[in-house]
Amino acid sequence: MKESAQEAGEVQPNVDEAPKAAPNRGISILDFILRIVAIISTFASAIAMGKSNNKLPFFTRSISRGEYQDLPTFMFFVVANSITSAYLVLSLALSIFHILKSGAKVTRTVLITLDMIILSLLMSGASAAAAIVHLAHKGNVRANWFAICQEFNSFCVRVSGSLVGSFIGILVLMLLILFSAIALSRQ
Amino acid sequence: MADSSSTAINIPESKSTKSKVGHVAYAATTKAMARKGGWKRGVAIFDFILRICALVAALAATTTMGTTDQTLPFFTQFFQFQASYDDLPAFTFFVVANAIASGYLVLSLPFSIVGIVRPHAAGIKLMLLIFDILLVAFTSAAAAAAAAIVYLAHNGNSKTNWFAICQQFNDFCQRISGAVVASFIAAFIFIFLVMLSAVALRKH
Repeated sequence: MKESAQEAGEVQPNVDEAPKAAPNRGISILDFILRIVAIISTFASAIAMGKSNNKLPFFTRSISRGEYQDLPTFMFFVVANSITSAYLVLSLALSIFHILKSGAKVTRTVLITLDMIILSLLMSGASAAAAIVHLAHKGNVRANWFAICQEFNSFCVRVSGSLVGSFIGILVLMLLILFSAIALSRQ
Repeated sequence: MADSSSTAINIPESKSTKSKVGHVAYAATTKAMARKGGWKRGVAIFDFILRICALVAALAATTTMGTTDQTLPFFTQFFQFQASYDDLPAFTFFVVANAIASGYLVLSLPFSIVGIVRPHAAGIKLMLLIFDILLVAFTSAAAAAAAAIVYLAHNGNSKTNWFAICQQFNDFCQRISGAVVASFIAAFIFIFLVMLSAVALRKH
């Protein structure tokens, strides 16, 4: 009885060490997959906004085309989404490194910090574009700003759709930061 | 008799030496624990100070935007002569979001103090980290939406025929611009808070 208890006591530490590395590996793989989802989402969003232009067959007032370049906020949105997808592609390398070596602490902290900054940038771009899209859909009576969506239908639809993609990317980025923090706290 | 007195003298000495050894060992372990939690305590104190700064910034943004109300002394045919934050939904969202951020910061101050007192409490730090991440996104969303409208108000847009209202409402414009700057500062501080929490969560 005593011998078996001692054996059980000796085996215990090894059993404890193995599951510690495995959950972090699972989180790292999930991190990699989520990054790919975020890349697709933000890249699609940038392309959808970048290719949006709507030519009207006749002239009304001084506007004949609705382009994303007409509104500086949309330009910022396209730039923010492009920077985000480029950063995510580069951070795939770091993510693969974390899958291979689950015990890395410094690189995970660096990854969390960079993800945080990119999240803030993407969120700023997306919400600024959302404010302008809301204005475009509804207009504003008090400021005498006309709702341009009534004229530029397909432009509006494309722009709103690209916003949805960007917000999905933001959600995924937040999950990524959370998982990295959980993995960091387990080491 | 002499023996008993000598033994009586001996016993307290051995007791005192034992207690001295015990005291030294206890002091050594507490010092070691304090050294281990030393840098974490410093990080927690810095976290507390940053939270107070973020609270000041978020409160300033809320009150500056919330108290905007300008009435022009003249009447025109085409333009309204009153401007306040609830005329634009983006500004309403801005005020609400910054109010929520200020409320969260006030509520998280006691948790931050617990983090200073007990540097090894990981559960509290993880919870604060999750909420800080959510609030970074929330605050920067509010600040950016208001910034987009403020940019339009300053510059207008000729292609969409949107007039730059800042030319009429100077005081209103200054207030909203200041509020947006304060909110961006609060978002920045939130990012620092998340970085600090991520560093402090590491086990050694």
